[in-house]
Amino acid sequence: MNRADSLTQPLQFRGLLFITPVLLFFSVFIVYPVLYIFYLGMFDWDGINDSKFILFKNYIKLFSSDRVFWISLRNAAYWAPLTIISQMVLGFIVAFLLEIRTPFVTILRTIFFIPTIISPIIVGILWQQIYNPFGGLLSDIGYATGFDSLTYAFLADTRTAVFAVIVVNVWQWMGFSMLIYIAGIKSLPKSVLDMAKIDGLSMAKMAMYVVWPMLKHVHLTLILLGVIGTMQTFPLIYSLTSGGPNHATEMLPNYIFQQGFLLHNMGYASAISVVLFIISIGLSILQIKFLKVNFINKELK
Amino acid sequence: MRTQNTALLANVFLITLAFIWLIPLAIMAITAFSPPEYRPTTYGGLQLTHFSIKNFQIVFEETSIVRNFINSLIIACTSVVLVVIFSSMAAYSFARMQIKGKNILFFLLISALMLPVPTLILPIFQINKSLGILDSHLGLIFPYAAFGMPFAIIILRSFFESLPKELEESAIIDGVSHYRIFLFIVLPSSWPAIAVVIIFQFMTCFNEFILALVTIDSPSLKPLSLVPLVYSGQFLSQPGAMFATLIIVTVPVILVFVFVQRFMVNMTIKNNS
Repeated sequence: MNRADSLTQPLQFRGLLFITPVLLFFSVFIVYPVLYIFYLGMFDWDGINDSKFILFKNYIKLFSSDRVFWISLRNAAYWAPLTIISQMVLGFIVAFLLEIRTPFVTILRTIFFIPTIISPIIVGILWQQIYNPFGGLLSDIGYATGFDSLTYAFLADTRTAVFAVIVVNVWQWMGFSMLIYIAGIKSLPKSVLDMAKIDGLSMAKMAMYVVWPMLKHVHLTLILLGVIGTMQTFPLIYSLTSGGPNHATEMLPNYIFQQGFLLHNMGYASAISVVLFIISIGLSILQIKFLKVNFINKELK
Repeated sequence: MRTQNTALLANVFLITLAFIWLIPLAIMAITAFSPPEYRPTTYGGLQLTHFSIKNFQIVFEETSIVRNFINSLIIACTSVVLVVIFSSMAAYSFARMQIKGKNILFFLLISALMLPVPTLILPIFQINKSLGILDSHLGLIFPYAAFGMPFAIIILRSFFESLPKELEESAIIDGVSHYRIFLFIVLPSSWPAIAVVIIFQFMTCFNEFILALVTIDSPSLKPLSLVPLVYSGQFLSQPGAMFATLIIVTVPVILVFVFVQRFMVNMTIKNNS
């Protein structure tokens, strides 16, 4: 008997056997839930009593007359570009400077990365202390120095609240971009950096014209992760503003939670979930197709 | 001369930024370590006048935070075990075995990485209800394991593929079964990748919030990630105790990170290069 045959023949079966547990988990807790929201999105259901089939009425209501839904979409439209760009630029600058030269690499890297591993719920509570107009850090600095604009109640004004939350989000996640950029810079051929030094390029020029363009795959990965992160945003909003004032900082996940678990509109919440699902998957596919982004770089090639 | 100036400038910039970055953490520490009766009320709590660990005593006496911590450990460890065992099996199969439709399956798994967890909280709530695991640790362990598997499979698969085939091939010729090769040759040589999976899965489980919020009701079952929320109500008039709670929740995570950070940075570099 040929050895190779005995290797390939039963392999189909063995291969499936090895994959089965994962497929089981995957079907029950990911595939089925996705199908379920599409199904339940066509019903009017409070979670207890009989459900009523209403086809697309949830979606019609959502798009035609739900103000909060549109605010959530608008906030996502602010959130994604503002956080992604700030985190990338700041993260790159910090990573570059850390890599070029500083005696305190480890400690600084740790300080910048710590916020990303703290629970966003805690981050929210901490930043309330900073934004609080009564005895908060910003307002007291404002009173002490005469910069009156700092005493403003940023989280209480519907026009400024979402931007105030975005600042917090940048504080929390900048370190993540930094870490990915550090990895990217470290993987650059050393000769590139040395050459640039020999050519007498200034650090700023070296960063902008040599290093930044060479890290294209890192930028794209961060954009992709940033978009996905935007679509996941929940706990920070939940603890910092609860979506207020007057829904000004609502994001889709918060709205799903509110409709589904506080107001018990299961069908309506499912419809919102479907919209969030389509937007997230759609944006990711667009990026992967047109920008050729890869998740974990070479893995998927 | 000029480069020295720029280096100085760079350091000044970095250190200033680091101080700004530390402010929220300093607020947390200072409020927590102030005595309850001398609680700082100005500058968001950024002034330490007296020092005391009374707040921490209050927390340990009046809350079941140790219980919550154990809950988190149970949930995280169990889902880590599930993820490591099942994902490594699947990853090995993807890397070394023939399955029809392998690429489509793999693509489906990957696309789960783009899925925001909040879209699934409603159905998972219902599924847990019908499986009878609502308001139980299993109701978190299973979904966490499912969410963690795609990432784990990507990492492990690429690692398995990078292992030299010769050893496995010669083992096959010696008549060693695939199960034994997997258990005794592949797994032991993959510890760096497995470690990354463990750390990542552990951290994600430890910090996960929204699913825990909607599925766990009993106070005695709540994981640590819900603690800040639970006790911020209880300690509404005792911010010191509340911030002490936040510190107790945060410190273990930071310690783990400091402990593994060299390792993580090196791994990211490996994946990038």
